[in-house]
Amino acid sequence: MKSVVKSITLSALALGMMSSALAAAELRFTVWTGNQAHLTMLNEIAESFKETHPEVTVRFETIPAGDYTQRLTFQLAGGNPPDAGWMMEDAASTFANAGVLENLAPALNAAEGYDLADFSEPAMGLWRGDDEVWGVPFSTSPFVIFYNKDMFDAAGLDDPLALAARGEWDMDKFQEVAKELTEANDAWGFEFKDGQGYDSRIMHALMPPIRAYGGDVWANQECGFDKPEAIAAVQQLHDMVFTDRSIVPPGENGDFFSGNAAMTINQISRASLMADAGFEWGIAPLPTGPGGEAPVIGQAAIVVFAAGRQKELAAEFVAHMTNEANVAKMAQFFPPARNSVLSSEAFTTSNNLIPAEQMEVVGEAIATGNVLPSHERSPQILAAMRPRVDALWRAEANVEDSLKAVCAAIQPLL
Amino acid sequence: MTARAERAPWLTLKMREAMEAWIFLSPTLIGFLIFFVGPLIAVVVYSLSEWNLLSQQSTFVGLANYDDALFRNPDFWQVVRNSIVFAIGLVPLNMALALALALALSRRFPGVIFFRTVFFAPVVTSAVAWAIVWKFLLQGEAGFVNQMLAGIGIDGPNWLRHPDWAMVAVILTRVIKMVGLNMILYIAALQAIPRDYEAAARLEGASNWQIFRMIIWPLLGPTTLVIMVITTIGSFKVFDHIYLMTGGGPENGTLVLAFYIYQQGFQFFDVGYASALAMIMFVIVMTLTIVQLALRRRDT
Repeated sequence: MKSVVKSITLSALALGMMSSALAAAELRFTVWTGNQAHLTMLNEIAESFKETHPEVTVRFETIPAGDYTQRLTFQLAGGNPPDAGWMMEDAASTFANAGVLENLAPALNAAEGYDLADFSEPAMGLWRGDDEVWGVPFSTSPFVIFYNKDMFDAAGLDDPLALAARGEWDMDKFQEVAKELTEANDAWGFEFKDGQGYDSRIMHALMPPIRAYGGDVWANQECGFDKPEAIAAVQQLHDMVFTDRSIVPPGENGDFFSGNAAMTINQISRASLMADAGFEWGIAPLPTGPGGEAPVIGQAAIVVFAAGRQKELAAEFVAHMTNEANVAKMAQFFPPARNSVLSSEAFTTSNNLIPAEQMEVVGEAIATGNVLPSHERSPQILAAMRPRVDALWRAEANVEDSLKAVCAAIQPLL
Repeated sequence: MTARAERAPWLTLKMREAMEAWIFLSPTLIGFLIFFVGPLIAVVVYSLSEWNLLSQQSTFVGLANYDDALFRNPDFWQVVRNSIVFAIGLVPLNMALALALALALSRRFPGVIFFRTVFFAPVVTSAVAWAIVWKFLLQGEAGFVNQMLAGIGIDGPNWLRHPDWAMVAVILTRVIKMVGLNMILYIAALQAIPRDYEAAARLEGASNWQIFRMIIWPLLGPTTLVIMVITTIGSFKVFDHIYLMTGGGPENGTLVLAFYIYQQGFQFFDVGYASALAMIMFVIVMTLTIVQLALRRRDT
């Protein structure tokens, strides 16, 4: 009798455990940040999802940015897809065209109070099909100039923010101050983004000046590197590297964040590196050019993977994560694409390292900027470009011929 | 009752022994089949298809991948040329240096262990740390190497930004990293040579060079062959060093086969094409190994 009671109790216990296991769900969400402040904020958003979905936990998995797209591909190919994750703009077309992203439109439209139209139209460009939404941008981060105020003072120069306010911050002025800064300080005048402008960030180095000159790297399946605007822009950079010697040249290190360069181009998420910089600094818009103002925006979105086993639930979480309140929360690190948040005071005061007047620079750039180019065959295009751009970065190189070689290499892929 | 005891055993001794052998061998055999033979066959099958890793779409294309690589893709032959240049630069230099170090360090003298450790340490050093440090040392003007060269009046090149010098730089840094392994193999072989041979030769009035040429070098033959084969195979398979130091650049100057395969498979997601390239590399390495073995047999 005793054993019968015991077995019934055990069975009941097992059944109870099974039912709670069935109800509880865990979403695996891949990100490329390992920054503790970022992860804490993400976990808070996941915690608030429990208000409507008490049984759901979200586990954020960090994959280093350099390996991110590749490791994601392995997980997808290996039948072990994450439920949702971040995605960089250069991978957007490749992944959407391969059919591995889930259409989020039904879940977003079904979410209570969710206003999809609040997202700025240019910011959604990469992530929208006819009626589909392949991703919701969470970071629409324009490139801005970071400058070392101490070095400008030492050279007796007005800083870029002051020059921009007077409408004098253009490509010629940029070249001029970079040269003077190099001469006045024992440091380089300018460093390409993260010092990788000759390697993994070729596009990030070339895009801002080319757009300032009114050109583009490609548009409507036509290569733009060999157009007069792009040639003039790249010629100016080439002169700065090899004639003025004001830009950190290929093969050298000159890190802005450790005080070895007076200016660099980067995004506001890097401001977290400036907390202990040991020098006065600021951010300013990119220099304008003959093409007027042409802010360049780097973008990342949240996507759901079509092969995931809990894609409906994951899509609901994306709707929660990108609602107005959570976008405002994320804005301290990741500039938003929601117009309502962009125009709010909460955004300009969200980053305690950056003064409100400088955050306005970010807001204006988002409103008027263009996202970095993406293409279904981005990896192949970049690989084809790379050796030709290497040849460009030699002192004796003919810029026009080198850029024509770039176009010859990538045109068949466009 | 007694019939049971009289029945012949259902396994003969020979069968039992065979069965035991199979049971003991099976863990290794199963592992070998799953992790070696299986993937090898899979690569052959993949190489006959156009398979996109991302979309998981695969179509059978016969020999089209091989046709494209061998006859239509000009990059492929530059990559093969780079791999050959890398091997020709690395193998003789590595072996000569390993032998020289082994000859110097095979005798016992105070501090010999220290020197062996110094030359072997890079072998066990992390490839990532090694590459980062060398990238730093090989910077254009501010780099330690060029500053040393400037000290003796030489204007050093921008090592990692010029396609030819970048190849020289990856070869030299790879040799320094890996020479310790071959040095240890040579030291072991040298210590296995009986001292009597050398003593007898000296009595006959042989010079150091004659002793090396006529006694030591021939006796090192089998070791030299092993070292040559593994170093050649290793040089064709080099990946991490290139990935970390140059990423195949500049101007594709250090784009070698293994890196090119990685690029096709894991950056462009074209697994079929990458598999065909891997099969071609397999054939090249296999042919070189057979040629080396044949040459060795002819010599003996």
